[in-house]
Parts: sequence; structure tokens; C-alpha cells
Amino acid sequence: MAHATGTVESHVQHHFKSSDQQFSSAKLGMWLFLFTEIMFFGGLFVAYIVYRAWNPELFTLAATQLDTVLGAVNTVVLIGSSLTVALAIRAAQFDKQKQIINYLLITIFLATVFLVIKYFEYTHKFDMGILPGAMYTFEGIDHPKANVFFSIYYMMTGLHGIHVVIGIGLMVWLVLKAMKGAYTSSYYTPVEITGLYWHLVDIIWIFLFPLMYLID
Amino acid sequence: MATASNGNTLKVRYFDIDENPKEHYLNAEKGLKSWLFTVDHKRIGIMYLASIVLFFAVGGLLALVLRTELLTPAENLMNAETYNRVFTVHGAVMVFLFIIPSIPAALGNFLLPIMLGAKDVAFPRLNLASFWIYSIGALFTLVSLAVNPIDTGWTFYTPYSVQTGSAVILMTFGVFIMGFSSILTGMNFIVTIHKLRAPGLTWGRLPLFCWAMYATSVIQVLATPVLAITLALLIMERTLGIGIFDPALGGDPVLYQHFFWFYSHPAVYIMIVPAFGVISELIATFSRKTIFGYWAIAMSSLAIAFIGSLVWGHHMFVSGQSELSTVVFSFLTFFVGIPTGIKIFNWLATMHKGSIDMKTPMLYAVIFLFLFTIGGVTGIMLGAISVNVHLHDTYYVVAHFHYVMMGGTVMAFLGGLHFWWPKMFGKMYSEFWGKISAAIIFVGFNLTFLPQFIMGSQGMPRRYYSYIDQFQTMHQLSTIGSYVLGVGFLIIAVYLVHSLIWGKKAPANPWGSRSLDWMTSSPPAHHNFNYTPVINNGPYDYHKPISEFTLGIAEDHEHGESVEKAKEETKA
Amino acid sequence: MSAHHAIPLKTLLSTTLALVVLTVVTIAVFYLNIPAPFDVVVALFLATFKATLVAMFFMGLYYDEKFNTVVLIFSFLFFFVFIGITLLDTLFRESSISIW
Repeated sequence: MAHATGTVESHVQHHFKSSDQQFSSAKLGMWLFLFTEIMFFGGLFVAYIVYRAWNPELFTLAATQLDTVLGAVNTVVLIGSSLTVALAIRAAQFDKQKQIINYLLITIFLATVFLVIKYFEYTHKFDMGILPGAMYTFEGIDHPKANVFFSIYYMMTGLHGIHVVIGIGLMVWLVLKAMKGAYTSSYYTPVEITGLYWHLVDIIWIFLFPLMYLID
Repeated sequence: MATASNGNTLKVRYFDIDENPKEHYLNAEKGLKSWLFTVDHKRIGIMYLASIVLFFAVGGLLALVLRTELLTPAENLMNAETYNRVFTVHGAVMVFLFIIPSIPAALGNFLLPIMLGAKDVAFPRLNLASFWIYSIGALFTLVSLAVNPIDTGWTFYTPYSVQTGSAVILMTFGVFIMGFSSILTGMNFIVTIHKLRAPGLTWGRLPLFCWAMYATSVIQVLATPVLAITLALLIMERTLGIGIFDPALGGDPVLYQHFFWFYSHPAVYIMIVPAFGVISELIATFSRKTIFGYWAIAMSSLAIAFIGSLVWGHHMFVSGQSELSTVVFSFLTFFVGIPTGIKIFNWLATMHKGSIDMKTPMLYAVIFLFLFTIGGVTGIMLGAISVNVHLHDTYYVVAHFHYVMMGGTVMAFLGGLHFWWPKMFGKMYSEFWGKISAAIIFVGFNLTFLPQFIMGSQGMPRRYYSYIDQFQTMHQLSTIGSYVLGVGFLIIAVYLVHSLIWGKKAPANPWGSRSLDWMTSSPPAHHNFNYTPVINNGPYDYHKPISEFTLGIAEDHEHGESVEKAKEETKA
Repeated sequence: MSAHHAIPLKTLLSTTLALVVLTVVTIAVFYLNIPAPFDVVVALFLATFKATLVAMFFMGLYYDEKFNTVVLIFSFLFFFVFIGITLLDTLFRESSISIW
């Protein structure tokens, strides 16, 4: 809602001096939040590295149970969704209301594709008895700590999946707001911030893919 | 004429501070809703203050119960199992519910924007959310106490935390939630310091409290997420049996300790660095002297934040971690002493030849210097591997961290509370009772914890409800000391509440401070300053007489009128 | 309005292309069966390069205030501190006191 009232546009909160100051504050805040996200996932990466250093043979054995093709497809899907969210921001910067909504919808679609593929991967493993934690019953991997590998796998991809779901939720909210014409070239902070979040989700998958699926 | 960072020229005028204003943040809005859903950082700070005082009382009463049990080796009040629960809850409440939010969330929220000359923190609604997240987390921990109080110790070590029947999930989930509150507060403060400083407030003019808050916020942002993932994995370990930390399923419990202390050691600095900030303000103000070594104090906070995140393994010397890492952690631990020592010496140098005014806050600052130095030096001793193996899990460690946390942070918190009390509520407390209770607390504190050093070095292990007869005298001294402490805190509570109702009205700057937080009325206006201040002086410019100490005006807050008009208003 | 820099369309599209190509390269390298530990090194190098592309051009760090880049670099630095020091323990558990 960028209708000007007086000299200051109404989207600028009272404690900021200018729209620019507010925008760059929001961005810095988001980068700090991404910092915490990196440390949050970082814990899981530490568990991964420690266990891989202890049991390199386990990781080679267990990774054969993961479908490289599906992992690769999901990588490309997420890269594509990163592009579309960047395009949505660009559309906002050029005041193209329709395009904002369209690009966000494509992003939501791609994110859903990612989750559907993940769903098939998970259910396939569940059927084989590769269940998380103590429910693990699969006997195809001859290693006493095979359950730990899949615990790490489920924790990492699961936490990533939760972030994808949150991302979809955020973008649905953006679409609803964008339909009311909330975002213009002078105010599109939520789109920008959600974009940053979504790119981080992409970056984490960029690391997860070779670390989980491509071990030999 | 002064030039702001964006190149615009600002006209600078001088204005007088409004003494005893009719309208201020406390009465700007009325009703319970105006408090619970406020976005005003001052009110949020006061709400935090009320919450942490409540939890301090809970944790403190539990401590008195523990000390009462320890009057004799026999089973006085409770059995071993109950004792385990009580010390765990005492630790968890004091750490997660009181001390971590104490100075940053309560005093920090109230003061930081005022010290920066800003109207509010960068994200006021997030700030409110952060308070509510803290409340929800606290609720979870309280429910866990009602269901089945946790008995693992506040560190939740695996594998016991996986096996015990107590409500570990509820408790850790509560702490998990409170972690987000801490993260959001940290983010908010960093952005506020970066983006919302008033015109003329350069990094070199930032009050040292702000530097300390900055360093604290950095630690909150970098370490707290690791606590979140640790507790999430612990909850998963209990519900699903993921086997990452549980040795029965192929996991490694020492890895849990790495995860836990990667947060919890830096968290020690979340607790103490804000205290350093408070002490810097107190000592400069009551020594009437420019702070000695401004940049050394400012940068040592950041150095502590950095070095402090490299040393977590000194909690794990007897955990079975590799000898190599033990040696490295011990070596790195000694480095933390350097920036901390720098601070102590700079404070002493500030006091040297100053005209020291021993008001209650300054009394607490001196008590802090005394007690914290003991706590810090015994910490260095515990960092030495051979000494640590002897003293590990004894009362020596308990005494050490109480000297740091209570003798350090709580004393600084009390000093800060007394210092800013007039600013917060516009009322003066009784200086006489302030000094009396400070003395009682000092005596009580040392009576409680000095015997614990002695017992610990003689081998009294921590976390036992009973002990061999030779320690009885020491334990009884310690227990009597804890009662004295309790009386001290009770007196403080009485005269502070008394001052709220019957206290004398406080002037805007009762201590003659040069810092920006005293350049506004007591209590401050709804938006802190009626005008965007332009800062012409440093916060410790005690070489200038206070009559020369004035602020410029950049912009009228309330009406968006021109600067010229604002000037006329202040003259009139 | 430096913070509001619109990233050129060409940059966005070529970044996407580069990311897809690098993904293909990552998989190709996997099938080359490079001996350990260099397979991990190559894979992580490629992943880091891809992440850098995303951060610079999709997230706009290339055009943004430099402090945001500092924040990102620090987050990785602290991650390395975490893993590096933890490995000092987990990799050397077996060592006995005699090595000192």
C-alpha cells in the first residue's frame, strides 16, 4: 500500500527516516537470520562429517540406496525455482503486478514438484524398511551403523523439506498480498526477503545433493 | 551545522531536557492490552524485567531449598531423586529463563534505542514477538515442572536424558522455543546498532554498553541455532531413536557434549558480556572521568565473542574426548583471560584518580570487580588440564561459576537496575537501604560460595544431596550465607517497590552522566526524544562541564514541523 | 537507491544456465570414480562454486552492501570453527598419551 500520505510514504514505519533505511535494515536482518539458518543446518552437517569420517565405508554402501536421478532432477527443479523467485523480485522492481503473481505461482509449483519427488523417495524407502531411527528394519546394508546414516539422511532432508514447506507457505501469502497490489517498485521488501530465504533453501540442497546422493 | 552520513546538512540547535514530564511512555497508553501488545521497546523491556525477576525469585527459592537440605548429611527435606530434580530446575530456570535474557532483553531493550537516539529498535513487532516466544517457551518449561520435573542437570547429557522418565521433551522444547526469542533479540539489536544511530553518533561515540550488546548479539545469533538443532536432535533421539547421540543405537554421547557446549560455552559470554557493558557505564559515570581505553574495552567484547566460541571443550576434559583436543581447548581457554583482563585493568585505570562517588550502583560495580575477578581467575585455573581433572564436578566448579554468574552478572544487573531505575520509572529509591542491602548481599554471597571453593578443593562432589561428615561445617556456613543473601534480595524488593509508590521524583540526570540515555526526561517520552537528537559529544566526555553538554535537534518527531519551528517551541 | 538494484535479466538467465551445467558436471565427475578423498574435494568445490553463484547473483550480494557479504562469510567461518575443532576430537580419539 504505497499511497503517499503527506511527505512520507505510509509503508515506512515511524522509527525509520526513509524507505531506503527501512529496506536495507530488513535486508540486513534477513542476512543475519540466514546466518542462524546456516548454523542450524551446520549442526547436522557436523554430525554428517563426523560420522562419515568414522565410517567412510558405511556412507559408500548406504548411498547406493538413494536414487541419483531423482536427486539430480530435484536439484534442477530447485535451481529453476530460484530463478523464478528472482524474476518475481525483478517484476516487482518494474511494477509488473501480474508477473509477480505468475512467477511466484511457478515457484510454488516447482517447490511442490520437489516435495512430490521427495515423497516418492521417502515412501519407497519406507516400503523397504528404511525407516528413521529405531524403526529401521532394512537388512540390505551389511553395516552395524546403517541406521545412523539414514537417521542423518532423514534429519537433513527432513529439515530441508520443512524449510521448503515454510517457503511455500510464505509464497502463498505473498501471492495473496500481491493480488491486492501490495507490492510495487517502491515497496517490495517481503518479496525480496522471501527470495533470500528461498535461495538459501536452494544453496543447502546444492550441498546436500553431492553429499548424500553422490558417494562412491 | 553538522553533516549527517547521507550528506544532508542538518541545522543544530540546543534544547533543555524536560524535567518531570506529564506525559511519558508509562502513561502514554493505558490498560493491560497497551502493555501486552505494545511495540514500544521500553515497555517490552519492562515486561522482560518483570518476567526475569519472577524467575529469579523461583530459581532463588529453589536454591534456598537445596541449601536447606544440605544443612546436615541426613535426608532433611527430600530424597536423592527429588534433590536431582530441584538442582536441575534451579539450574535450568536460572540459566535459560533468568540470566540469558536478564541484561540483554530487559535493560538492553529499554536502553539500546535510547542510547542510539532512535525511536525504537529496527523491528518493533519482531521485538514483541520475541517476548511472546520467550513467554511461550517459559510456559512449556513450567508445564514440564508440573508433569514430571526433569532430573538430568541443566545440560541434558545423553544417554541419561534419553533414558530418564522425567519430562525431558517438554523441558527441552521450551528451551528450544526460548532460543528463537534470543536469536530474534540478537538480530534486532545488531540491525538497530548498524542502521538506527542518530546523526553524529559514530561508532567511536557508541556507549560501551552498546558495544557489549553488539558482541552479545553476535554470540546469540551465531551460537543459539546450534542449541536449537542439538535440542531438536535430542527430542528426535527420545521419540524416534535416531542413534546419533545414543550409544545403545550406535551413537556417540560425546558428540552431544560438543553440540551442547558449542552453544552453552558462548552462552556464558551471552551472560557476562552485557554485564561488562553495564560496569563500563557505571564506572565511568561514578568516577567522573573519561573511560580509560575506550577502544580496548569495545574491541575486547568482540574478542571475547570470537575467542569464546573456540573453547567449548574445556567442559569436556574428562568426557573421553581425544587428548589432542583437550590440549588445544586448554590452550585456547587461557586466551579468553586476555580480553577479560584488558577490561578489568581499563576499569581500574578509569577509577584511578577519578572523583569516585560511592552511590549504590557504583557499590555494585566495585563488588562486581572484586567477585568477578575471583570468578575469572579460578576459571583460568580450571582451564588447566591437570587442575581440572582434580577439581572436575566438585564444588570448586560450582563456586567458580557462581562467582562469575552471580558475583559477575547478577551484581552488574543489580548495579544497572539501580542505575537506570530512576530513568525507567522516574522515581528515586532509598540510597541508605540500597547501600545496606548491597553490603548484606556482598557478605552473604561470600559466606555462601567461599566455603564451596574450600570444600571443592577437598573433594566434595557437586550434585549430591548428602556428604561425609567432615564437610558439615562448611556446608552449614554456606547455607547460612544463602539465607543472608535471601534477606538482602528481600530488602531490595521492598525498597524498590516502595520507591515506585512513595519514592521522590527523579530528575532527568540524577547521576550527572554524559551518556545519551540521560539526555532525555525520566521517564522518557513515548518516542524517547521529542526531537531526533544530533550528537555532538562522546558518551564519556567528563572533561566538559555538564552545562556545555547539549544535544542538537535534527527533526521534530511529533509533528514533522520544520527545525526552525521546533527551536521556537523549546525556547518558549 | 543502491540497495534496490534490479539484477539484469541476462545475468539471471546465465546464472541459471551455469548452475544447471555445473550440476551435470557434478554428476559426471561422480561417474568418473575419482579415488577418495579427492572425489569429495571436487564435489564440494563444485557445490561451493554453485552456492557462490547463487549468493552473488540470485541473492544480489554482488550489487549489495558489502556488510551482508561479511555476514555470510562469517557464518561459514563459524561453521568451519565448529566442525574443525570437533574433528580434533573425533578423528584423534584412538591416540594414546604416548604421542605426547
